[in-house]
Amino acid sequence: MGSRPLDEGTLVVRAKRGDSAAYEELVRMYQGIAFRVAFVAAGDTRDAEEAVQDGFVKAYRALGRFRAGAPFRPWLLRIVANEARNRRRSAGRRAALALQVAVAASGDAAPSPEAAAAEHERRATLLAGLAGLDDRDREVLVHRFLLELGEEETAAALGIRRGTVKSRTARALERLRAVVGEDAR
Amino acid sequence: MSQLERELRELGEALAWPEPPDLAPRVLASVAATARPRRRQRLALAVALVLAAALAVLAVPPARTAVLDWLGIGGARISLVDELPPVRTVPGLEILGDPVTLDEARVRAGFPFANPPDGEPAPDEIRVAPGGRVSYLWREGTRLRLLVTQFPGSVDNPVIVKKLVTPRTRAEELDVDGNPAVWLVGGPHAVLFVSPEGDVREQEGWLAGNTLLVDREGVTIRVEGALTRNAAVTLVRTIDG
Repeated sequence: MGSRPLDEGTLVVRAKRGDSAAYEELVRMYQGIAFRVAFVAAGDTRDAEEAVQDGFVKAYRALGRFRAGAPFRPWLLRIVANEARNRRRSAGRRAALALQVAVAASGDAAPSPEAAAAEHERRATLLAGLAGLDDRDREVLVHRFLLELGEEETAAALGIRRGTVKSRTARALERLRAVVGEDAR
Repeated sequence: MSQLERELRELGEALAWPEPPDLAPRVLASVAATARPRRRQRLALAVALVLAAALAVLAVPPARTAVLDWLGIGGARISLVDELPPVRTVPGLEILGDPVTLDEARVRAGFPFANPPDGEPAPDEIRVAPGGRVSYLWREGTRLRLLVTQFPGSVDNPVIVKKLVTPRTRAEELDVDGNPAVWLVGGPHAVLFVSPEGDVREQEGWLAGNTLLVDREGVTIRVEGALTRNAAVTLVRTIDG
């Protein structure tokens, strides 16, 4: 995955030696995606924040056992997602999609107010379609496409195997397509 | 990429994601407050293994199964001994408790255990033992193919005791997503349960093969079966926790 910054490995090595500035850099680098993963798993902003914070602290304490050269991001996302799920469970919330389409003034794709409205409506339809899928189907699509995680990272965040991500994604796309259709645009 | 996949990606960008605050200061404050533990435990085990090996050479057989040293992982205590206790070669299923449904197990276990692993078919049997041990069992014919047991417990208050003789059986320390774990590999080791009263019942144990123990959020997960280390770790990861 080309999106991973080149110096992740160096920062991890330094953080392993106890360099907290290097770890701070890693936190700043990944807290955005970690928060979204946590928010999807926890369904609550506050729980998501705590999950990210505790996940980073836990990961730091476990760095001594982290294999040098292994990708840090999937490992971190796995820890954070676990923290977030545990919080959702102890709060007694069901897994659900707590997101809305932003009321955005997107210029380029929508040349007219009518087109903008149609686009907004289509997105709302997609979101409702996702919300109506069963938890496993929804989760895999949210991670792969809405969060744009690779298969390995999706597997890590959901605690399933990579092969399962592949097969479940294909199946979930079919099910979603049956509900929302292909866009006729 | 299909049209639908593209649409989903665009949807991800068009969503009103909540904006988190910068968490770096809080993380660093917590990290500074508690320095990362060094590899104390690993060192202790290495010393124990060396000690065990040394003693094995000198072995004069006095008391049976003298405990040479031990290592705690969650509710499991791993004791290095000079001789395995006389136990059965396969578990008697009654040791694992009564067969129940998953819902009954939730009521009777008294601790928050995880659902069966994702990548396996549904377990052939679920059993709950007094004192709070939940086991998922998979059979292959009459044999037990895979056994996953979960139990709460702490190092000072173990639920399960494993006895092994080094260097025939090795204990490798691992990390599974930030949770401490031990992989027991090589020769068989004896698995014994601690009764709710705190007695170790030597008659009710069995000889186990390769086993992974993971201490996750105060619940210990034990996986026994004909698995490689990586397969056992993957299996634990698919146990939704």
